[in-house]
Amino acid sequence: MIELRGLEKTYHTGGVDTPVLHGIDLDIEEGEFVALMGPSGTGKSTLMNILGCLDRATGGTYTLAGQDLTALDDNQLSAIRNRRLGFVFQLFHLLPRVSVLQNVLLPFLYTDPYPSDAKERAVALLKTVGLEDRMAFKPNALSGGQQQRVAIARALVNEPALLMADEPTGNLDSVASKEILDIFDRIHAQGRTIIMVTHETDVAAHASRVITLKDGRVASDVRRN
Amino acid sequence: MRGTELALPAPSRVASPKVRALRPVRAFRLARHAAGALWSQKGKAFLMMIGTAVGIMLLTAVVGLSAGVESRINEIMQAFGPRSMMVRAGGGQMMGMGGRAASGSTLKLEDVAAVRDRLADRAVVAALIMRDDIPIKAGDQNTQTDVMACDPNFPQAFDWYVASGAPLDEDDERSMARVCVLGATVAKNLFFDQDPVGQRILVNKVQFTVKGVLTSRGTNSMGFDLDDRLWIPLSTGMRRVFHVDSVRTIRLNVRDAKDIGPVGEEMTALLRERHRIHPGEDDDFTIRTPDFIAQRIRGMSRTAELVGGALAAVALIVGEVVLMNILLLSISERVPEIGLKRALGAGRRDIFTEFLAESILVSLLGMALGVLLGLIPVLVIPKLFPMMPMAVTWKTFAYAALFSSTVGAIFGVQPARRAAKLDPVEALR
Repeated sequence: MIELRGLEKTYHTGGVDTPVLHGIDLDIEEGEFVALMGPSGTGKSTLMNILGCLDRATGGTYTLAGQDLTALDDNQLSAIRNRRLGFVFQLFHLLPRVSVLQNVLLPFLYTDPYPSDAKERAVALLKTVGLEDRMAFKPNALSGGQQQRVAIARALVNEPALLMADEPTGNLDSVASKEILDIFDRIHAQGRTIIMVTHETDVAAHASRVITLKDGRVASDVRRN
Repeated sequence: MRGTELALPAPSRVASPKVRALRPVRAFRLARHAAGALWSQKGKAFLMMIGTAVGIMLLTAVVGLSAGVESRINEIMQAFGPRSMMVRAGGGQMMGMGGRAASGSTLKLEDVAAVRDRLADRAVVAALIMRDDIPIKAGDQNTQTDVMACDPNFPQAFDWYVASGAPLDEDDERSMARVCVLGATVAKNLFFDQDPVGQRILVNKVQFTVKGVLTSRGTNSMGFDLDDRLWIPLSTGMRRVFHVDSVRTIRLNVRDAKDIGPVGEEMTALLRERHRIHPGEDDDFTIRTPDFIAQRIRGMSRTAELVGGALAAVALIVGEVVLMNILLLSISERVPEIGLKRALGAGRRDIFTEFLAESILVSLLGMALGVLLGLIPVLVIPKLFPMMPMAVTWKTFAYAALFSSTVGAIFGVQPARRAAKLDPVEALR
């Protein structure tokens, strides 16, 4: 599903080179639920941004579902994000001015052609996250846990090959966190590939594989089951 | 999660997505989304559109004035005759068409004959003397009217024919006959419902026989009754009534409108030669063409149009600069939204389109408001001041739409570019 070969990222600021990722080799199989851990400043976010096609590596290759993404331009990467990737953020990132349903439909704003069953898909997903009676609400009327569930529905509405989550429970209380992690478990059980950044080991315990980064390199890679 | 069954769709294995240019359907979708964004910040949107509205309001008024003046000019040209030309005795500038000061005796019958000879193939030429407010009398009815003494070419030169009776003819001219033709108003004033043809009247105490009555021309655009006139033969006028040896006006009806320019130049040259006017000296006659009249009137309204137009342009630009700055401000507030949209698959072009659409939409809304406000003076002013013509035409709407969307697009580009340039990683932070 994902192949990283010698992936490097170096930031150039003011004539100074700051290497962040030093040649990462990694394979992630379809259906894996990977937790990405490590202290801050080790390149977790950088790696997530590259995997999420929001940023580009300065060296090495990134292959997603057989497609080499290394050389794609901004437009092509945008299309990949739109068709292949789903994002769940720590701060939910819902659009406050539109309804829950419209938030879930937001990715299709950038999809050509617009799927004829877009609304059915969004409604079905909101049902599966238990928010079918909140569809017309504005996000602000929802609890944090509910908002994150909307965000998960939005991340899945385009049937992504890869679901990326950046500390999805980082802003939630323990009850809401458990709800969200339950949903991630079920998404995993459905066979979808998930990469989740987390600081907490009990959150990482839900994953089938835990990769720890240190100083821009893979420090440990543990599979469970 | 209340034990609901998760029916999540299987991971997609679609072929690699193709990247293509922004399609109209997508652009429309983004524009509709932008409209929603505006709706959610109505107060700000209203502030953004005020400047545009004021600019377009002024523009609407200016276009309305300009259209009104053009239609007034058209009326006057129609009344004057689009193929007509007047030569008046005496030089110098005279205002409008109403200058009827009896001055100048430079146009002699020989001049008329020479002009007629030279232009015989291109124009009908009629010589004319006009005097205001001459007392006339029929039976015990007394009134005053303008008396026109004109040669027999009058009907062709003015495209104006008798409704009843007969026109003044060559025999009347040769014999200095004391006959006249009445304008419709004069006929009505003197004879009411009676047939005037064959009746006797006194013109300036000279007795005349009525030969005919002209068709009615009504009131011209300046409110002057063209039917309140009486026509007598030129020779009769010169010798028996006014006692002059020159004519006041030569009227030409040019057969082909294209010839008006050349005919005017040729006549000027001919008359200058005949009057022995040296190069550098002023004409001792004045040629009036429909173009000249139109320009005269346009000149009067141009100042108003220029001032109004300049104000409209300034208001429009100031308004759009305000719009641009509010947009720039709102972009810094909406950085997280932009980051989110980029993550969801918006390309730079999509973000650019959304923000440009917002500024164009605001401008168009401002335009609609401006046109509505601008129509108020256009509709009200002519009612209060009949001398100030204003009209509503499609041009008002065409110009308003053109200007506001162009200006909206121009001033929307910079904010939209700034939004599109944002790095998604930075924006999401």
